[in-house]
Order: sequence, then structure tokens, then C-alpha cells
Amino acid sequence: MSDLKYLSLEKLTLAYGDTVAVADLDLDIRRGELIALLGPSGCGKTTTMRAIAGLLTVKSGHVRLDGADITHVSPNKRAVGLVFQSYALFPHLSVYENVAFGLKLKGLRGAALDAKVQSGIASVGLNGFANRRPGELSGGQQQRVALARSMVMEPKVLLLDEPLSNLDARLRLEMRTELQRVQKETGVTMIFVTHDQTEALALADRIVVMKRGAIEQIGSPQDIYNRPQSSFVADFVGFENVFALEGGKLKANGGLYDLQGDVPAVAGLAWRPRMVTLGSGPFQGKVRGTSFAGEHREYLLDTPLGPIKAEVDASQPMHDLGAELAFDLPAHRAAPLASFA
Amino acid sequence: MFQNRAEALALALPAAIFAAAVFLVPVLILLSEGFRSAAVDGAAGGGWTLSAFTEFFSSSLNRTVFLRTLRLGAIVTVVSAVIGYAAAFAIVSLKPSTKGKITGLVVLPLMISPVARTYAWIVILGRTGIVNQAFQALGISEAPLRILFSETAIFIGLLQLFLPLMIISLISALENMPKDAIAAARVLGANWFQVFWKVILPLTREGLVIGGTLVFTGSLTAYITPAILGGSKVLMLETLMYQQVSVSNNFVSASVIAFILIVMSFAANILLKRVATARNRVRTEARGTQ
Amino acid sequence: MTARNFFIPVTLFLVIAFLIGPFLIIVAASFSAGETLAFPPQGFSLRWIAKVFTVESFRASFAMSLFLAIGGTAVALMLGIPASYALSRYKLPGAEVIRTVVSAPIIVPGIIVGLALLRYIVVPFGVGITPALFLAHTALVLPYAVRVVSASLDNLRSDIEEAAVLLGSSRLGAFFRVVMPNIRGGILSAFILGFVTSFNQVPVSLFLSGPGVRTLPVDMIAYMEIVFDPSVAALSSLLAFLSIGIVFAAERFLGFSRYV
Repeated sequence: MSDLKYLSLEKLTLAYGDTVAVADLDLDIRRGELIALLGPSGCGKTTTMRAIAGLLTVKSGHVRLDGADITHVSPNKRAVGLVFQSYALFPHLSVYENVAFGLKLKGLRGAALDAKVQSGIASVGLNGFANRRPGELSGGQQQRVALARSMVMEPKVLLLDEPLSNLDARLRLEMRTELQRVQKETGVTMIFVTHDQTEALALADRIVVMKRGAIEQIGSPQDIYNRPQSSFVADFVGFENVFALEGGKLKANGGLYDLQGDVPAVAGLAWRPRMVTLGSGPFQGKVRGTSFAGEHREYLLDTPLGPIKAEVDASQPMHDLGAELAFDLPAHRAAPLASFA
Repeated sequence: MFQNRAEALALALPAAIFAAAVFLVPVLILLSEGFRSAAVDGAAGGGWTLSAFTEFFSSSLNRTVFLRTLRLGAIVTVVSAVIGYAAAFAIVSLKPSTKGKITGLVVLPLMISPVARTYAWIVILGRTGIVNQAFQALGISEAPLRILFSETAIFIGLLQLFLPLMIISLISALENMPKDAIAAARVLGANWFQVFWKVILPLTREGLVIGGTLVFTGSLTAYITPAILGGSKVLMLETLMYQQVSVSNNFVSASVIAFILIVMSFAANILLKRVATARNRVRTEARGTQ
Repeated sequence: MTARNFFIPVTLFLVIAFLIGPFLIIVAASFSAGETLAFPPQGFSLRWIAKVFTVESFRASFAMSLFLAIGGTAVALMLGIPASYALSRYKLPGAEVIRTVVSAPIIVPGIIVGLALLRYIVVPFGVGITPALFLAHTALVLPYAVRVVSASLDNLRSDIEEAAVLLGSSRLGAFFRVVMPNIRGGILSAFILGFVTSFNQVPVSLFLSGPGVRTLPVDMIAYMEIVFDPSVAALSSLLAFLSIGIVFAAERFLGFSRYV
């Protein structure tokens, strides 16, 4: 057993009936890490999470946790916690009884039980709510109960399904801080599933980007944000101008275009809108749309390369709709893509 | 959603096997007997034939009963729809607290045994009943009229039995109707007749069909009402079937009647499903365009 | 506007008079002091109400109906709850077939069910009348049990069971700890609906009666064909108040109408 391979998925294949949802997935997670499984719906992230919890039968491969093979251990004996997207609180039980549910099944009674439940409720700031029913709580409060209910069990791994997606903007920030605090205080290994790149970037130690049942890229938030390895990841984290390369030339709209500067020998290049130089350069485009975004202004250009999104400082003079503009896609600023799909 | 098939079957099969053994298989055998060649003693035997059906319909009594059943079903349905619209309209326009109470009164009869509900009409329609007392007191008739044991009596009984179902269906249809539809039509110059025909009827079609199916199949398959209010002379298909078995011991004829009753109820039910799914399709399409 | 103000109360009065009036007449007639069924009642007495309890066949058939309604509904629920659970929680091949088979008895006229049972279960297998009645009433109530219990299961999130399992509960334990408490209202409503349906049912029981074995409504019909006194009216009133009372209590404590 090693802390580097605290939780490992080996050649994991998961299927619903005959439809394979995840194929041959390998992933090692360190003890105490906060991992984000990021991807669009249908990429297999939720399926993977459910397999770790044991809610889904593994078709082939292994799940190892803390040195033990738990592939065929039933979910009630895994010591894996899960905070459901809908929270899944027991509607007929009070907050107190919800939090006490698992502890009672562990055989805890009396003062020991009470102490644990009370401290669990206090740890998520819900003192005074112990006798409420879930139906009488706000969404944010319900999620705290769900978190406390899982955390009092001292799970080896805590899974969270889209933990922020049902909350409004203010609560989202609050919950983000809360999750980081819980993780720091308890040192629990956390895996959360999300389709929102900003959530993953803000919260995770490491991000696992998934696509069609396979891992597309694993890296730190900085890696994923600045150095996407594939066109899919680039697109997913906001590189809106993504092109393939062919023989050192940009391939777009069926044609090949020369780029200025050194072009690396990779499959493709990607530029965020603010990496596009506007007003000078070898390419010509026509302004089709423009929008003001406070600090900066965004332009949508019609060009021979196809639509290009550019972003410039708002203090620069504004270009009118229909204006012809020169622009450049500087090779040295682009993110090099190892694979292009 | 759980995946374990064996577990699911273990949970669902006892009920399914029970329903199949106690209900489905015996009923299917019963229905099949109508297609066997009939022996003289009324038991089925031999090969497959439609002769039982031709024989059934060759009897003028049977034809009368068949047509009477259809006719009563249709008339009860139409009359309950007309009264149902008026009543549902009146109820929907009430303020919420009264609406709940009045709806409760409309539903109340459904909780009372049909035997008790039908029995009351004997007191009302009998030779010395209230209606005849009133008619004689007012000089409308001299001798007591024979209202009981007639189609009229069955009609009244069935209408009272099933009207609540129609009213409830129409209340929910009217409540689901877009609130401004009537006002919009009025503003566009439609008179009340046009409003009903062009706006309300199409928008409440589903409720009308649900209510109509319940009333129609209920009337076709009612036993108690024709048995008590029709007596042994004015028969409907169910009472005829009972007679065929208990008096004439003619099981083949009973099977034919059973087949006719089931075909008619199923046809009405399929119609109901059709309309319901047609509406769902419209809904999904609407959602798709959002 | 005045025409409308007139239309609404008059319509409602007429419709409700038509629906409730006959029942009120029955109630009034059951307090009559006269020998025959009549309205307006001749005098006032409780003699017919009292007589109901002394008629031996009523007592026997009431017991039979009560047994069928309680026992049949209980068995229908024991079959129906697992089936509803399987239909709502599992991806089951042939789920539609099972649903149709289980809910078919609601579509087929009762008299046919009764006759089919008599001819192909009672006669060939030598089943007694009482067991046959029990089977018939159970089959009749099964569709209601499945429909009402399914409705309350569909209203309950299924992930709470997964949550319970992840907190250490077994699957069966999860069912009893977090599913049952949340569908209790639905089950009780199904029981009441089944009870009323079974108790008031006539056609299914018509062919399934023998000497001394009859359900109460069938017995009432038989009695009224012979005797024209107000005792059937008295019995009807008593039964009506009983079922109205049960349904009202159910609505008050369970919100019965949510499930039905």
C-alpha cells in the first residue's frame, strides 16, 4: 500500500447492459487529494463515481482502496461516502436522525452517538436545526446535512456528485470554501464530479478530464487551464479558436495557412480570444458581432479561416460592425495540442 | 435504477403469476369457448367456429339487448357530458373553499355502495314512489305510471352512478385550460356558442374522452343497475349473461356476451390511450422546441 | 352577468340534488315506522336499523364481505408492493407485460371474472366457494394496490435507498428503513381503496355464492327481491356512513386523494 496509490482504478470497464460507458480506465489517486472528474454529460464521470461507490457492478478491472481490492465489496461495507446531487436526505427523518442514520447502523448508541451527531451538525454550521425535517431546509442547508451525514462516518473517500450545480452563485462560493475547509481539517480524500470547468479549476488539486468513457487529460488546474493536450480539452477550458496543423501550416476551412514565427511540430494549436492580435497581422476578417464585457470587448470575426473570437482591452478604440480588420494568430502564444480530434 | 434482473423478476413475478392464473388464463379460456362449436347442452366442444356468434345475433331478443346496451351506454355518455360541462363550469367558477366542498359532494356518492345508490330509485320511481305521488297530486297522470323496470329507470340509475366520474374529469380539464383562452376568444368577437365549440371543447377534449370512456364502459358493464331497475324483462348484456348462465345454462352464449363486452371495453380503453398519447406527443414536441 | 349568477347555483343545486338526493331519501326511509319501504317515511322509529343486526344472513354475509375486503386487500398488497417496487425501481425486461397482466382485472367486467373463475378454477380443481371468492377479490384489488403504491413510489426519490446503503444499510434494510416509512400513506390509501372496492363489489361475487356463502351486497339484492321492508335501506345507510367515515378520516389524516 502506498499513499500515492490510495485509490486506484485498474483497467476499469463499466457498462449499462451492452452499452459500454467507461472502457479500460486507469487512475491513481493519492491519500488526501481533492480530485475533480470533469467532462460533458455522458462522458462517464458519474458512472466512474458510482462504480467507486459500488452502486454499479464492474464489468472488468479492479477498484483498490487503501490496499484492499474492493471491486466486489458491497457498497454498504466500503467506507465510501457519497453526497448526492439531489442530496438524497431521508424525508421522514429529522436532521439529527439523518446524521445519526449510519452511526446507528455501526452500532453506536447513547452518549457516544449523541456526541458524534452533535459535532457533525455543528461542523457544518447547522446548530439549532437538528429537529427540522429536510423539507423545511433550503437547498444549501440540505447539502450541509448531506455532507455531515457522510462525514460523520469517517469515510476513506468522499464522493460528491455535482456539489455546486444546484446552488445559486452566492451559495456556490460559500460551499466551495466549506468543502475546502472540510477537506483541509479532516484530510479526507475527495472526488467530485462536475461539468463546470470553473468549479473544477477553483476547487481541485488535480483535474481528470474525461471524454466518451476515457481519460483525456490529467493535470493540475494550471496545467489544464494553460496547457491543454488535446483539442477537446482546449475547447472545454475556453480556447475558442482551435485549429489542426498540417506540415507546419494551419488547416482551416479546407485550406492551409502559413503562420508567423516558429510553429511547433504538434497536431494542433489553440488560442484563447485574448491571445488573438487584432489590428495587425497577415489575416483579414470582417466584424460580425461585438459585445462589451467591462474590462474588455469581444469581437466575432468572419474570416477565411472560419469564425474567429478575439478579445481586446476596452480602452482601445471600438471597431464597427462590418469593418474589415487585420489580425494575427501568433504561434508563440498558442497552446500546442498533442492530439486533435 | 437497479440492474439486477433476477431480483426484479423475483419481486414482480408472484403478482404477475397470481393475476395470470386467477384471472388472465381463466378469462381467456372463457372467451375462447365462444369460438367453439356448441353442443346442445351448452358446453363447448369440437373445432373452431363463429357459429355461436351468428346464432347469438340471430335471436331477436339478443339483438334487442345488444342494441339496448349500446344505446343506453351512448345516451348516458352524451347526457352526462352535457350535464357534466354545465356542472364542471359552475364548480370551476366557484371560489376555492366552496369549490372543494362542492367537489366533495360530487365525489361522495362514489364512496357509497352501488347497491344502496340504485336501491334508492325503487323508492323514488316505484308505483307508490315520490314521482308517481307527485304526478298524481299534480294531475299529470291518474293511475300510477310504470317507470320502474324500464329503460328509463336504467338510464336514470346509470346516469346517477357515473355522472360524478364525468364531472371530475371535466373539472380537471377545465382547470388545466389556459386561463385567458375564453377571454381572448371573446375579445376576438366569438359568441358563447362559438367559444364553447371552437375553444373550450378542443382544449378540454382529453378530459371529455377520459370521462366519456369511464362512463361508457361503466354503463356497458354495469350489473347492479339493470338487475335492480330493469328487472328480469328489460335486460342489458350483463344481466342477459347472468340469465344465460343461471337460468338457461348456456355457457357458449355467455362466452359470446363476455367477448362482446370485453371488445367494447377494450375499444373504449384504447381510444382513451390514443388520445392521451397524442397529447403527450404534442407536449414533447413543444419541449423540444424550447 | 345576472344570467350567470343565476345559472351557477341552480345548476349546482340540481346536480347535487340528483346525486345526493336518493341517498338522503334512503336514509330517511330507514327511520320509518311503517312496514314497507316508502317516502315520505311513516312515522319515526329505529326498528329497521335494529332489525338489520338481527337478520342472520346479513350478519353472516357482512362477516364474509369484511373478511374478503380485509384479507383480499392484505394479500393484494403483499403481492402488489414488491411488484410495484420492481416496476418502479428496476429496468425490467417485459415490464409493460407484467404491468398489463397485473392491472388487467380492472378493465375486464367483474361478471366475466366471476364466471371464468367458477368454470375453470372452482369446478375443475374443486376449490371451495370461500377460497374462490378470496382469490377473485384479491385479483380485483391487485390493480388498485399496484397503481396506488406505484404512484407513491414514483413520487419518492430512489437515490435515498442508495444513500442508505452507502451509510451501511443492506438493500432490504434500506427498503424497510427509508422506503416503507415514506410510502406508508400510499399503502394505507391503497388499503382503503381496495377495501371499499372489494366491499362494494357485486358482479365478481354473483356466480361465486353458495348456500350460506354470500357477500353482503349480493345478499342485499337477494333480500330486496323477496322482502320489501326498509331494512335494506337501513343497512345501506349504515354502510354508506361507515365508508364515508373511513374515507373522510383517510383524507384528513393521510391526504387520501393525493394517491387515488
